[in-house]
Amino acid sequence: MFKKFDEKESVSGTQQLKSSVQKGIRTKLLELYPTLESYIDVILPKKDAFRIVKCHEHIELLVNSAGDLLFFRQREGPWMPTLRLLHKYPFFLPVEQVDKGAIRFVLSGANIMCPGLTSPGAKMTTVPKGTVVAIMAEGKQHAIAVGITSLSTDDISKINKGVGVENCHYLNDGLWQMKPVK
Amino acid sequence: MADGEATTALAAGPQPGVKYPLSVLYCGNCSMPIEYCEYYPEYEKCKQWLEKNLPAEFEKMVKLGEGDDGADGGGNDDDKKRQKRGGKGMMKAKKKDDTPKQVTVSRAPRGKKKSVTVVTGLSTFGIDLKVAAKYFGTKFACGSSVTGDDEIVIQGDVKDDLFDIIPEKWPEIDEDFIEDLGDLKR
Repeated sequence: MFKKFDEKESVSGTQQLKSSVQKGIRTKLLELYPTLESYIDVILPKKDAFRIVKCHEHIELLVNSAGDLLFFRQREGPWMPTLRLLHKYPFFLPVEQVDKGAIRFVLSGANIMCPGLTSPGAKMTTVPKGTVVAIMAEGKQHAIAVGITSLSTDDISKINKGVGVENCHYLNDGLWQMKPVK
Repeated sequence: MADGEATTALAAGPQPGVKYPLSVLYCGNCSMPIEYCEYYPEYEKCKQWLEKNLPAEFEKMVKLGEGDDGADGGGNDDDKKRQKRGGKGMMKAKKKDDTPKQVTVSRAPRGKKKSVTVVTGLSTFGIDLKVAAKYFGTKFACGSSVTGDDEIVIQGDVKDDLFDIIPEKWPEIDEDFIEDLGDLKR
């Protein structure tokens, strides 16, 4: 999603959010990530005015008043945390771990293929299709990518072929490189 | 340590006894968490950066490399066996902006007896132009605006003051980096 993303070209504008919309986003986030409840006030303080950065390809980024990028989504999809946020609060997404061989492909933006999720070095948390997951790597502590499962984990282990998780945001992509928005 | 971390990470919800937000160390060269530096094409530069800025972490990494020599050695063998080409699996190094870091200052006439000062090149130092323009405006009590991709126009002739004020405000810019272009035609 952010492979060809460029801070200068892809951003079309920022927008201050109405407080009612902010509330809506908060509740939506809590619905999606219930474990975030005790920390949502730290991430999105009630008094803070966040902004939406609109980008090309119907991508929207949620930015707090300091300019840090927090969440993103495409069209009406689920809100996904940026990796910088996920590194700070790694607990609120289900984790899928890929094996060592897959790391370099993921780092260049490839989708997560099923065999990389089923091999001995990999681990999976059981989730249905279409869930936002954090991609970890074998032997590493921090998330390497954020994606949406395109098969349920049962299907991934059963079919074991093709794309298992769609890579939405990975280390060193356009969004990762993007500086805080003023 | 890594193993324990992996198993705990699989459980959902905040871990008791862990304080959030976690702070993650990022490499200054490749911007990724330092454990992923090895996948960056310019790993050597990352190492140098790490050695310079986070000597403790660097030592840990060196020790780790020695510790599981088997795995590490295996990896190296693998590298030798496989041909390296700039194919799909290779990450692309971030293009370093090769433009020389240089700030230029010049004076342009405005009307018969007034002039404006044009500052270019500040963004090569990673300075936010909007902030800089605002700063110049308040400092010289005059109008100041971002007029182009990398250009600030300050109303009034403040060229001489800039040589003192720019290095003062942004210590990374030495006075030698500032070039005087003299008078320019508008």
